[in-house]
Amino acid sequence: MPLGSVLLAFVIGAVIVAATGGNPFSAYAALVCGGFGIGCTQGENPALQISNTIVFLIPLITAGVAVALPFRAGLFNIGAEGQLLAGSIACTAVGIKFSSLPAPILLPMVLISGMIAGALWAGVAGVLKATIGAHEVVTTIMMNYIAQWLLRYLIIGGPLQLAAGTSKSSPIGAGARLATILPNDNSLFIFGLPSSVFRVHTGLFIALAAVAVFAFLLWRTSLGYEIRAVGQSQKAARYAGVSVRRTIIVTMLIAGAFSGLAGAIEIAGVDHNLTDKYFTDTTGFDAIAVALLGLGSAVGIVMAAVLFGALHAGGSVMQADANISGNLVFILQALILFSIAANFVGAIRQRIPGLGRPTALPPQMPPAAPLMTEAATPPAEA
Amino acid sequence: MVHKRFRFLGVAALVLLVAMACGGSSGGGNTKQYKIGLVTDIGGLNDKSFNHLAFVGLEKAKTDFGVKDDVTESHSGNDYVPNLTSFASKNYDLVIGVGFLMQEAMGTVSGQFPNIHFAIIDGAGTDASGKDLGHTNVQSLFFKEQDAGAMVGVIAGWLEKNGKAKTNAHVIGAVGGISIPPVNHYIAGYKWAAMMEDPMIHVLVGYSNDFTDPAKCKGVAKSQIDQKSDVEFQVAGGCGLGVLQQAGQSGVYSIGVDADQKDADPSVIASALKKVDVATYTAIKNVVNGQFKAGALTFSIANDGAGYSVDNLTLPAELLTELKTVQDKIRAGTLTPPADIP
Repeated sequence: MPLGSVLLAFVIGAVIVAATGGNPFSAYAALVCGGFGIGCTQGENPALQISNTIVFLIPLITAGVAVALPFRAGLFNIGAEGQLLAGSIACTAVGIKFSSLPAPILLPMVLISGMIAGALWAGVAGVLKATIGAHEVVTTIMMNYIAQWLLRYLIIGGPLQLAAGTSKSSPIGAGARLATILPNDNSLFIFGLPSSVFRVHTGLFIALAAVAVFAFLLWRTSLGYEIRAVGQSQKAARYAGVSVRRTIIVTMLIAGAFSGLAGAIEIAGVDHNLTDKYFTDTTGFDAIAVALLGLGSAVGIVMAAVLFGALHAGGSVMQADANISGNLVFILQALILFSIAANFVGAIRQRIPGLGRPTALPPQMPPAAPLMTEAATPPAEA
Repeated sequence: MVHKRFRFLGVAALVLLVAMACGGSSGGGNTKQYKIGLVTDIGGLNDKSFNHLAFVGLEKAKTDFGVKDDVTESHSGNDYVPNLTSFASKNYDLVIGVGFLMQEAMGTVSGQFPNIHFAIIDGAGTDASGKDLGHTNVQSLFFKEQDAGAMVGVIAGWLEKNGKAKTNAHVIGAVGGISIPPVNHYIAGYKWAAMMEDPMIHVLVGYSNDFTDPAKCKGVAKSQIDQKSDVEFQVAGGCGLGVLQQAGQSGVYSIGVDADQKDADPSVIASALKKVDVATYTAIKNVVNGQFKAGALTFSIANDGAGYSVDNLTLPAELLTELKTVQDKIRAGTLTPPADIP
């Protein structure tokens, strides 16, 4: 992980806090307490804070993979959010429709339906890219809007609406829910609190498995080799007999499946119904930051997700304890992204061979080209 | 700061001893510092609307009762449960959730912490199907929004009838956020009163399906103004600020909601007031006085928990008289604005 970017962001963040009359030390102490449960002074329960961080980071890992994989093929998937929503919609619809089925059948069904929906959502962008060369940045962003408004339609006045005057769906069947790791019991006390407040669910293991599958796929399979080859140079890949079109479509399908899985896990593990909270969900966009900060590697993604999950959980504690607006967290996230982007090309050159080999660029290319060059050129494959 | 806290602990321990000696009677009085936690919804503290008002009520309670107040803003729906849980797990004396959208989270968390008092604006503690769980530690702070809606409806209807609005085509509009009860109550009162004033009036009702993004509400307002609406009532929180701006740009009148939104745009001629500050303050006062009561507490014109403000337009004396008449009738119960859109 580019630790320098993170450190720089925190230093600038401290300056901002100090300049606005706050105490950066107490702000960061509260942030650490909120994120990791370390050094809490105002009665926070460390176990609860860690639990919150884990709940937040689970979808970030899975969606982060969905951004990182297309990176390797030279594709920029801005549509993780839309794919995630598609996955959560499909998961909910199936979980309601077949709510009476037992868990061993229903749970795989809802997760797989989420993956299929996400894959199809991303697949549209993949097919458009591979056939007519439509830029995936544009198409995935558009697909985000379609997913967001489809969601609004479905739960406000549409077929999934619970009842008139609500903005949510019915809950999914009990068999469609991912179990929490600690029992969901209000009367059992663990770490001094009712065990139901610890919301960490088994989706954590699914997310870790997903990131392992990502690493295996990328480095140990021929498909992974093809993905990396296409990312390095479409021309060279084509000479080597790789079907660039097929690889682009398959990459987007798999990426979408990961995003869709993230959405399905959120429904099955945390919410159990579609609500208006998904109108303001930003997991799919945070995932872009996670993938960038993690430099597209499996371990990096997990570490970056831990950081972003902790920032999310820590933000509220910082506001309550140190009276520093939780918006500082967004400033920090933006600063981290900014400082990565500032040496974006350099970092990408060094660590991800996939995205742009500056030496191979035609000299007339503008500075921003490394990101766009592969993507902007429609494959001329026969 | 630290020193003060230790002193408070000592006093608290003494009070506890005395209380125990007296057989467990809870005699906090001025010696106990109550801890109040406020969780905003996604609108945030600067929504110029009910989150802001809840904070105003909290600040007033801080001045009057010396409570320790802490606020957490929710940045997405993901934050409701953790934010409520955080205050509850730290044994706050009252945890206040602002907004209908937090109902389910309130139901979950209040079940986990039966010994902590909760209050929720515009809602109750519900399960995932929206059914009130009836937890005995949750107080629901409801409003008769239709009372406030009716007052601004009188203004809009009167202006149309007497040709004192802009285009005077007997068309007015209301832009709601999401079609949920608190929003529809406002619109119900508005439409009912406007029709009472001007029988020829046509009231356009639209929803943006959003509470945060002004651009979305702007679009709905624009289409209503294109249909000759010249008084636009916003009932969409932060999103609705777009309605006020659009009215200003199109040169028609607008009406604010929840708080006095006079300063949001020059086009704002009045605001329908939902006194969330009064409700929040009352809830805190009850806890401090040991009078917390679960269940619904409703605020209306009758108990000064709802009303209206006159903003950037000098209203004719005749209209002011009419407003006073209607308000008195609603207060006396001889006029009852409907809760459902007529």
